[in-house]
Amino acid sequence: MTKLTNSLKRYWQVVGLAVIVILGFSVFGYARTQVHAASGRTKIVFWHEMKGPGQKQLNSFITAFNKSQTKYEVVPQFQGSYNAVIQKIMNTHGTTASPAVFQSMDISSSQMYHSGYTVPVQKFIDRDNYDISQISSVARGVATRNNKLLAMPFNTSQTTLFYNAGLLKKYGIKPLPVSPSYSDISRVSSQLYQKSNHKIKGMSVEAYSWLFEQFLSNANEEFANHHDGHVGIADKVKFTGPVAIESMKWLQGRVKAGDFMNYGNSKNEMAAFLSGKLGLFMQTSADTSLLIKGLGKDLGVTYYPHPDGVKPNGISVGGASMWIANDKSATVQEGAWQFIKFLVSAQTQAKWEKATGYLAINNKATQEPVLKQLYAKYPMTKIPGDQLKSAKANYTNSGIFVDGVVAARALIENAMQQIYAGKDVKQSLQTAENSYNKVLKSTNRANGHG
Amino acid sequence: MLESLPSTKKTQPTSSHEPQAQPQVKSPVASFELRKNDKYYAWLFLGPSLLLLSIFVFYPMLRTLYLSLFLTDNFGEPTVFVGLQNYLHLLKSAPYLASLKATTTYVVGVASLTIVFGLLLAAMANQKLRGIEFFRTIFTATMGVSVSVSAIFWLFMFNPTIGVLNQVIMFFGHQPIAWLTTPGWAMVAVIVTSVWMHLGFTFLLFFGALQSVPKSLYDAADVAGASSRYQFWHITLPMISPTMFFVAVITLISAFKSFGLIDLMTAGGPTNATNLLVYRIYKDAFMNGNYAQASTESIILAIIIALITLIQFKLLAKRVNY
Amino acid sequence: MGIELQGITKTYDSKQAPVLSDINAEIQDGELFVIVGPSGCGKSTLLRMIAGIIPISAGVLKINGQVMNGVSPKDRNLSMVFQSYALYPFLTVADNVAFGLKARKMAPAEIEQRVNDALSMVDLTEYRDRKPRALSGGQRQRVALARAIASDSKICLMDEPLSNLDAQLRVQMRAEIRELQRKLNLTLIYVTHDQTEAMTMADHVMVLHDQQVQQIASPLTIYNQPANSFVAQFFGTPQINLLTANTAGTQASPRLTMTNELQLDLDKPLAAGTYTVGIRPNALSCRPVADDDGNATVINVETLGDQTIIEAVLDDDTEVRIVEAGQVHVALAQRVLVTALGPAFIFDETDTLIAEKRGLQDARVVAVN
Repeated sequence: MTKLTNSLKRYWQVVGLAVIVILGFSVFGYARTQVHAASGRTKIVFWHEMKGPGQKQLNSFITAFNKSQTKYEVVPQFQGSYNAVIQKIMNTHGTTASPAVFQSMDISSSQMYHSGYTVPVQKFIDRDNYDISQISSVARGVATRNNKLLAMPFNTSQTTLFYNAGLLKKYGIKPLPVSPSYSDISRVSSQLYQKSNHKIKGMSVEAYSWLFEQFLSNANEEFANHHDGHVGIADKVKFTGPVAIESMKWLQGRVKAGDFMNYGNSKNEMAAFLSGKLGLFMQTSADTSLLIKGLGKDLGVTYYPHPDGVKPNGISVGGASMWIANDKSATVQEGAWQFIKFLVSAQTQAKWEKATGYLAINNKATQEPVLKQLYAKYPMTKIPGDQLKSAKANYTNSGIFVDGVVAARALIENAMQQIYAGKDVKQSLQTAENSYNKVLKSTNRANGHG
Repeated sequence: MLESLPSTKKTQPTSSHEPQAQPQVKSPVASFELRKNDKYYAWLFLGPSLLLLSIFVFYPMLRTLYLSLFLTDNFGEPTVFVGLQNYLHLLKSAPYLASLKATTTYVVGVASLTIVFGLLLAAMANQKLRGIEFFRTIFTATMGVSVSVSAIFWLFMFNPTIGVLNQVIMFFGHQPIAWLTTPGWAMVAVIVTSVWMHLGFTFLLFFGALQSVPKSLYDAADVAGASSRYQFWHITLPMISPTMFFVAVITLISAFKSFGLIDLMTAGGPTNATNLLVYRIYKDAFMNGNYAQASTESIILAIIIALITLIQFKLLAKRVNY
Repeated sequence: MGIELQGITKTYDSKQAPVLSDINAEIQDGELFVIVGPSGCGKSTLLRMIAGIIPISAGVLKINGQVMNGVSPKDRNLSMVFQSYALYPFLTVADNVAFGLKARKMAPAEIEQRVNDALSMVDLTEYRDRKPRALSGGQRQRVALARAIASDSKICLMDEPLSNLDAQLRVQMRAEIRELQRKLNLTLIYVTHDQTEAMTMADHVMVLHDQQVQQIASPLTIYNQPANSFVAQFFGTPQINLLTANTAGTQASPRLTMTNELQLDLDKPLAAGTYTVGIRPNALSCRPVADDDGNATVINVETLGDQTIIEAVLDDDTEVRIVEAGQVHVALAQRVLVTALGPAFIFDETDTLIAEKRGLQDARVVAVN
């Protein structure tokens, strides 16, 4: 019996040791999260989703901001994709892991607004009498509710049509007008395909819901009821309106004609475009800097296409806005606001447009020498900005203010892929519409809206 | 007191060779002491692992089950109890059934092709040829390659414009194939990539198994008059069947769990053709924020895997043991 | 007709010396032919060449008069029993026996008949549905035999079939194999490293050593007229005593002096030189003498019951083994007088037998002093 007791004692020593080690690690871990106290600056954790040239430029802004003052230290943390970051915010809010300020994309605005996890930037604008008119109104439209600005637009893009002007010249094809219609595009695409003896694909439109949404925007067709959710909780969507059908039938027609190629993702698409195997495609203006690097002055840029015989309505901005989380102290929130002001200054935005192709949303930015030089050297880089300015903000070109649009996008992309694969246009869109209406109904029910 | 135990045991009749039917008679004090200590020790040793299991396995499992009976709001909290409605809805939903079908195609394709090609490579490497060691090393090489690296490697291979595969196809005068954007081809592409990834380890297992088949079995068969093909089917296969069973089980389960590959190569597309169950769960939970549906799908997947494993053991275990 | 080996040679690597060179033998129909030798002598290699499992590098193999070089194993019409038995662990006893018959696509009824016959011949009928792992070593051995029997070929090769069995079972199986061989009138080529098996079973024995045939003869001939000192040493337990001997003087002489203690007179004179004399332990005898007498000291005694093995050191430090019948009581360190009784073999410098003396008397090989 004494033997047993002895071995028990030994065992407890081991357990005790283990407990001490675990405690030690936790204290160490806790201490690590508190490091800002030591540096004397308030740490502002910033979540972003920028890759490539955007990430590079953003990091240099952060360095510049940290140098420009001594109170705050912005710590950037890359979070992957726009789609994933919403759930990360939802899951970490109120914990030490959550950010003070974060970048969240256009269609997440509604969900962020309804979450109650953020402080509207309008609060700081009003307090400081900040001149908000210097920021583009269409860009603000995406994050505005009841005339209050919820978040500050930062990286704003326009969906843009890129074409290889060099190829068009080589095959003697008349270039596209600045604001092309569907049939203008069909003409260029099929001529290129035919004249290159099928060696070059005429066009590509990624099966990407954002592009579908922009077809609707540019023809003033609503995606969801209650004016795309801007005036109330949307409970019905419509993916089968006349413009939706027309645009998709047009693309399916190009697939059948053979000059359209679905590359699966924008990377493959861009690779084909840069290697001269693809004539034109539509993507965010944020790709401009990469494309200029590849094609130089041969890069052609136009507005987003509109249906024949319809006056273009302008398109919603893409990109993301800066949100200030409300689970941090007033000091931290203040630091986040200072950082945001720095990011949207005319100087910063001018550099941003040059480095990435995102549009400078500060109206004064075009007066900056950086942009003046850029436009002089590459006149086509001015076109997306012109497109943005040409539009008047209304409900259909101010984004979709509905919770959980990510799920809708997945359904629409599925429908687009089906359409490219030759399935019936109306039926594919109808299936997506029905599915999402069901999702919307249960989402609203779960969130107490219905 | 411990010393007295052997003597109390000796009171047992020990002459019979048959197992004892009647319970062992022990001194009541001794048996009580032992039992108490046994329990004490049992809890001591099981405690830490039970605690960890409860936190990291049992609780999440029960929570998943619980969530699957509710609708969840934007914060992931269960708000409306719906009973089994999530399950009924899913099992009637065409995209989910398509996902189930795609998963079946993928899993069966990956497991069977991995076994066939793994065995083929192992049989080749098992030959006594000059320089075969080099190939043995090459064949195991994919073991050291991570999912992301192989996915990116194959993305390049399948690239519609600059990919090697299409270059070859075009060289022979055919139209290029949109590997990852045509539903049928996309499935082929992810299966090929997955098989390629599984091949290294499978090869190693099969090669080890082949090496451990005694040479004398083949010698005996040679003398007895069996052709090489007869020997393969009637000696090699039965002898490596335990390995084959093992490979089948782990490949099948591993295929069910394919996530990184799908995420990097097709993201479930095109037209959900490669939207495998696991990937669907991820998208529903972490993209769409629909935790209730994701939980429901998790429970269904868990049941499917449990059933398949059970069937595999029942059906195959009988045939592979010797 | 039987089996003829003509100059059989095996080389694995052309740069290396052959593992077997120039093996010649003729094996008669229906005889039990044992190939014996120490491990590594190439006896299994030779058997595998006969079976056709490994190719013959040079020489000719004929079975029933037909050249068999390059003929595949299955067309040589022979059966083989392996040291490891080579049983298929996933098949029952009956299926193991039937394996070759099924591979040759024999009619099921015929297979059934042969399997039953073979199993009853080795007493395994009641174990027919067991898997090999449920059998004892001896039973597995019998399955291997049954498989050879069922093949119905008249030539059977066995590669150390008894080496995995315990001593008693080995004795029993020796007899059983011999009996089977006679009953089925098999030509059996049997490889072993055990001289007892060779002695007790063989009609003819081939002794292999140093890649070469040392002697082919009947067991008794091998024992009584070993071709060389290796053969003499290999057969008989305990081992034969090999003693170095010199002719007396510088001229041919019939007297050989082995050590200072023993000498031997021959019928005919031998050329002057050094020779090796082999005397089997049972051809030596020893008698205890007083402490300052005799020619040797006892260093070890092994009492086996029916005989006693005495090891003694002659006064010039040569060790000899002596076997005395019955139970002899000799103390360690006892002084003894060692004398010779039986035959002696005389080998020349090349270890070849050149003379033998039979039925020697004390007077012929005498202790000096």
